[in-house]
Amino acid sequence: MAAIDQAPAPPALRILRSTLWAGARLVSIALLLTAWELVARSGIVTPFQLPALSAVLERIWNDAASGDLAINTSVTLYRAMVGFFIAAVGGVVLGMAMSRSAAARWFFDPIISVGFPMPKIAFLPVVILWLGVFDISKITMIVFDAIFPVVAATVIAIQGVERELIWSARNMGAGQRELLWQIVLPAALPTIMTGLQVALPLSLIVAVVTEMLMGGYGLGGAMMTASRFANSTGVFAGIVEIAVVGYALVKAMALIRRRLLIWHQESQNFPSP
Amino acid sequence: MASAAQIIIDRVNHLYRPPRGREVLALDQVSLEVANREFVALLGPSGCGKSTLLYLIGGFLPVETGAILIDGEKVAGPGPDRGIVFQHFALFPWKTVRGNILYGLERQGMPKEEREKRAMDFIELVGLHGFEDSYPSQLSGGMKQRTAIARTLAFGPDILLMDEPFGALDAQTRALMQSELLRIWQRTPKTVIFVTHDVQEAVYLADRVAVMSARPGRIKTIVDTKFDKNDPDILKAKAFVEKVDEIWHLVREEAIKAQGKRA
Amino acid sequence: MKQSLLRYLPLLLLAAIWELVARLELVSSTALPPLSDVIAAWIDMIKDGELTSNGASSLYRAGAGLALSVIVGTALGIGMAWWKPVNVLLAPMVEIFYPLPKSALIPVTVIWLGFGDGSKILLIFLGCMLPVTVGAFNGARSSEQVLVWSARSMGANRLRMLWDVVLPSAMPELLNGIRTALALSFILLVSSELIVAQKGFGYLIGFLGANGTYDAMYAVVFTVAFLGFAADRVYQMFVQRMLLWRQ
Repeated sequence: MAAIDQAPAPPALRILRSTLWAGARLVSIALLLTAWELVARSGIVTPFQLPALSAVLERIWNDAASGDLAINTSVTLYRAMVGFFIAAVGGVVLGMAMSRSAAARWFFDPIISVGFPMPKIAFLPVVILWLGVFDISKITMIVFDAIFPVVAATVIAIQGVERELIWSARNMGAGQRELLWQIVLPAALPTIMTGLQVALPLSLIVAVVTEMLMGGYGLGGAMMTASRFANSTGVFAGIVEIAVVGYALVKAMALIRRRLLIWHQESQNFPSP
Repeated sequence: MASAAQIIIDRVNHLYRPPRGREVLALDQVSLEVANREFVALLGPSGCGKSTLLYLIGGFLPVETGAILIDGEKVAGPGPDRGIVFQHFALFPWKTVRGNILYGLERQGMPKEEREKRAMDFIELVGLHGFEDSYPSQLSGGMKQRTAIARTLAFGPDILLMDEPFGALDAQTRALMQSELLRIWQRTPKTVIFVTHDVQEAVYLADRVAVMSARPGRIKTIVDTKFDKNDPDILKAKAFVEKVDEIWHLVREEAIKAQGKRA
Repeated sequence: MKQSLLRYLPLLLLAAIWELVARLELVSSTALPPLSDVIAAWIDMIKDGELTSNGASSLYRAGAGLALSVIVGTALGIGMAWWKPVNVLLAPMVEIFYPLPKSALIPVTVIWLGFGDGSKILLIFLGCMLPVTVGAFNGARSSEQVLVWSARSMGANRLRMLWDVVLPSAMPELLNGIRTALALSFILLVSSELIVAQKGFGYLIGFLGANGTYDAMYAVVFTVAFLGFAADRVYQMFVQRMLLWRQ
């Protein structure tokens, strides 16, 4: 994260400098939070428009104490993760099938290329019509949204495997099965992971929207209830809770990527972005 | 039939079919015989089909017209009797140096203890001791190519196919790797077919140099280039320099022709 | 022509199966009205202006929000790559808000700006800004040092370099970020209109669904889906033009 156009400095100075910059980053977050509290208390805005940070934290604390926070978080996470895993496995399998069979490619290629850029969320009322308002239709919506980036990434990844790599493996006696599991999939993994890293936040976005629309337990549902009762502290508490869950999921995924791709160039160049 | 050649390439044609555009005759009636334990270089301008010929011998591309025989048998696909080394190494980036070398031995079903020992022997042979647990992305270009050579030698092919193996290396590393390859070749003699567009490299390494013409690829001449490879001053010897010069002129003509045709 | 027909044959096949399944009443006609009914409903809605008027207000919201996010996002991203203090101030905030599921902002924008156009535009602006910022930042950061140096040696000052070197080399990643933002803008538009609105595509879908006029609802759903797809295609053609120098 270095800015362009800066002169190299001696090592000791560089370490000192980077520690200072890292400290400055923390200050920036602290500034944001302080500004929130000050603006909320100053009277420029009403507490309805922006409740004080302290009030929001208190609300979160109460949610946690009553157990609501744990229930809502786990319900939302459950839906998002089940949907994500189905999309991940289904997407990789479908992508592999499209790479290997001309018939599968002929049938699914137009569906994927037309379906990927579509706003699938518009189909939500149709899915409700078919499957009701419970978990099954929420998870269906998540899979429907998250599977496209996974399929597209898998197809591109497998196409991008160098023929020399495959030839080398065949040269050493690898058969079709071994080529797929030992060569093609590992070589395609970095790009497939990138697809999964797009699909994961998408799963969470859709989980929250479906909960907002269909109600019931879950972080999105709780936020919507608070909104209906004009309880803006509850709404802001919801944002903070959802932000924390989103942040944790994205960081966890990045960690998994680094672990799985320890051999990949990027993990050597950037130990911790 | 002791005198019969190990590799016989008999009037091979090859059509290159690009995804778009017209097909190109990449190889035109190419014939060549290579004896057991002989080191032959295929030399020519880029686009003369020398790599294609190598891939045909390796069995990676199908032979459509003509025939390629190895020890009297038609090539029908890749096999562990012919090992290939590519210009861009083609190492498995998710495996360590040791893992890359072990892969071929595993596929052959060699017992664990034996293959571990064999892998270490070849790591030793190419001078990569201490780097066996490094991933390819942590190695320099020269070390990557050493790994690729060790990986191919380890599964014990009779024939070594090398596709511009030093083309991606800097000049110093390239010179080092050339003498290294000769040292290894003298210790474990094999038949080698070596594709290059570097004239001096071809003359220095090979027993014979097949000069190829471009578009369509044909073998223009075959030049004898047997020199005493152990002579440290061979690169400056008069006979050597003259040989390089002679072949250089042959290749230059072809390169100019190829340029002209492209324009 | 014939080739593209063959390419999209699977889609036509699906459409034919839809019509057949619905006509033979293999599923209830409320759950799946025949395709021909849906098309008829679509034509009716175009005629009486219901679809076009709601569509216009949706596209206005998406367009305004997206345009704002592109302008502000590009400025922020390049600023972060070019001036270290800006980076230090903003990078931590970008890092925290980037993974936020943007749909969580829907109730907040309603609290701030009510149920009308303003809240949707603000939502789309906030939701789409970060992908553009990150794209611009990554692109500008990767502009090669040699280019910057050679521009400087040719006498370009800092501002000129920003315009002549940094912005063009940031372009591929920036345009990619805008593509993500484009897709997000449709998702946020439809979600927010489904949840709270008095006009727009999402409102129309919800209204028709509640009324039980499912053929019309399907017609609107597919119109939105098609617009999202078409916008992406048009954008990609535009990008190809912009990046001709890369070939």
